[in-house]
Amino acid sequence: MISSLLEKRLIVVTGKGGTGKTTVAAALGRAAAQNGQRALVAEMGFGEQLPGLFGRKEPAGYAGCEIEPGLQLMRIDPYEALAEYLGLQIGVRGLVRRVLANPAFHQFLDASPGWRELITLGKVWHLEQMRDENGAPRFDLIVIDAPATGHGLPFLEVPGVVLSAVRSGPLHRHAGWVEEMIRDSSRTLLLPVALAEELSARETSQLVQRVKDHGTIAVDRVVVNAVTQLPFPEELRDLDRHLDAIPADTALEGLPNAPVLAACARHLRSRYELNRRYVAEIAEVTHYPTVVVPYLPGGIQSPAALDRVADALCPRESAAAA
Amino acid sequence: MSRQLEALILSKRIVVCLGAGGVGKTTVAASLALVGAKLGRRTLVITIDPARRLADALGVRDLGNEPAALSREVLDTLDVPPQGEIFAMMLDMKRTFDDLVERFAESTEARERILGNRIYQHVSEALAGSAEYSAMEKVYEVMESQKFDLVIVDTPPSQHALDFLEAPQRLLEFLDSPVVTLLVHPAFSAGRFGLRLFQRGIQRVLQVIERVSGMGFLEEISNFLLEFEGMSEGFRNRARKVRELLVGPDAAFFVVTGPARLTSDPASGFLERLREAELPLAGILANRVRAWPGGGPCPAEVPEARHGDAARSALTHALRATHGDTFPADRACEAAIRAASHYASLVNEDQIAIASLREEAQRQGLLWHAIPELSTDVCDVDGLREVAVQLMKDPRDPESAK
Repeated sequence: MISSLLEKRLIVVTGKGGTGKTTVAAALGRAAAQNGQRALVAEMGFGEQLPGLFGRKEPAGYAGCEIEPGLQLMRIDPYEALAEYLGLQIGVRGLVRRVLANPAFHQFLDASPGWRELITLGKVWHLEQMRDENGAPRFDLIVIDAPATGHGLPFLEVPGVVLSAVRSGPLHRHAGWVEEMIRDSSRTLLLPVALAEELSARETSQLVQRVKDHGTIAVDRVVVNAVTQLPFPEELRDLDRHLDAIPADTALEGLPNAPVLAACARHLRSRYELNRRYVAEIAEVTHYPTVVVPYLPGGIQSPAALDRVADALCPRESAAAA
Repeated sequence: MSRQLEALILSKRIVVCLGAGGVGKTTVAASLALVGAKLGRRTLVITIDPARRLADALGVRDLGNEPAALSREVLDTLDVPPQGEIFAMMLDMKRTFDDLVERFAESTEARERILGNRIYQHVSEALAGSAEYSAMEKVYEVMESQKFDLVIVDTPPSQHALDFLEAPQRLLEFLDSPVVTLLVHPAFSAGRFGLRLFQRGIQRVLQVIERVSGMGFLEEISNFLLEFEGMSEGFRNRARKVRELLVGPDAAFFVVTGPARLTSDPASGFLERLREAELPLAGILANRVRAWPGGGPCPAEVPEARHGDAARSALTHALRATHGDTFPADRACEAAIRAASHYASLVNEDQIAIASLREEAQRQGLLWHAIPELSTDVCDVDGLREVAVQLMKDPRDPESAK
């Protein structure tokens, strides 16, 4: 039995675009808040998707907003994080403001690799370190909706690169703190989100292999999202063949004719079988348990849908035991 | 045959597929290549990350950084006429960028120094969208070779829509930026700050970078950029030519989208950015759209409730008549109605998801295709052929225009 996700301090949810990792991140935050924890879900990237999942139109921004009791949302903007960081480092506010306003500096930043990732992770570290007036962590659980596409892992590798490229000074020290947080398997977990499809299965196994090879961050399970369920009992899986045997011109009192009924059943069955095969394949190639989140018809933009995802991620028993 | 698609495939030399990750862009690109070959063109598809089994099915397992031809045997199974050919290549972006350095470096020593530079090794994958830049660089190279009638490009999945197109410009702006100009100033790399020579704003920027990162790091970056500087003229020329090619009459862009089932689909963002960049948008291809079987209109709901009893007894009766009295007709009937009703809701969901894009396409007079989701993976020759068939259907035919 794998431990509850809610026992972690920091969960980095990763996956290619379209796998639903933002939904998974939001559902985790909601599960934690409902479990009485103080949770923060942070996204990066351009638009904000998190507030919409909770039915809110206004963006949460860098300052964040409390969307539900115990659940904070925010978007980590690298420029704002940089301003905050430089302010803390340099102290001279006027200097920082002038530098940040300098167009040449912006041009330099726009093309420079790595700093966005580093400053974003630095902000995550800062959030993780925050304490309330009683000295307890400000957030019990921080969930990061990591950038989409293939950059998911290099994102977490940036601090290590900086450590090897910059050998001393404040930047080296700070990257070291971030690196320590990422590698601490007692606090931190990478949660890959995959789809039950060939490409996604392969990408996920590559990701997991790379994490293992580099020892970048702990992984202990893979989420397989949007898995098609059979809307009828398993023992009737040959339903399409039974329906196909009915003469096509049989009148069915307003129902679609038999070949159409058969095609509907067939489509669902073959998607279901295909999905099941890839779930098995993901478990086999990654050697990790899979957490299956069912496909939710009608979309995920409702609290009820988020709760169903949360239930799949954090079954009530283990949430209660945590 | 869709006239609009046929005209495009026959008149263009380069077709670029844009879209978010996970929409099946690679499959659509491969299918467009197949359409090209079926129309008798020598077609190359450049893919970034093909599904392994798709590559296997095409007999191009060792897909590399150079075009590989599909065998005649495979082409025959795909109904490609004798004059049509398909080549495929998979882009190795890191290698392409290394190749570029090799080409533009001023000397063997400079090349070795760049490729061996620690900073380069770390950043070449990330520098100013070098992945996207490399993709376009390779495209330019094959276009220049004149070996192909048509090149289909499957672009890297990108959050930033047109990164690949803007990458050359960004790379050049970076190399030209005052900070970099200062960093590559010999006085700097020699360790003597010639700060007074430069404007105060830049001085401040360097002060801040230095205070945070330490002097050694800036020096290393400086050495790297100094080597790079010698190549920037080569990069500049290529970047300009790539841009000219993409905005020119030989190019067409397709936005590939899936019904937004899991995430807000960025397709409309792509459309806007293409317009801003004045790129020749030719069409929108909605992939994996679930369609109602048999081509008729999808019922708003399967009349489970409305005609409940009569429909149930008719279907139960038919099942029993076909399979005998021992068959669990009641349960099968229940299951069939539930399956049809479930599937109808999925089809309706997809239709709603693609509605606004379809209207947009009609408004702009663009090619529009909704490619139905197949019941299997498109990982083999059959799947590819089926997608190509769907693409070639006349979109005015109600069955494929839905």
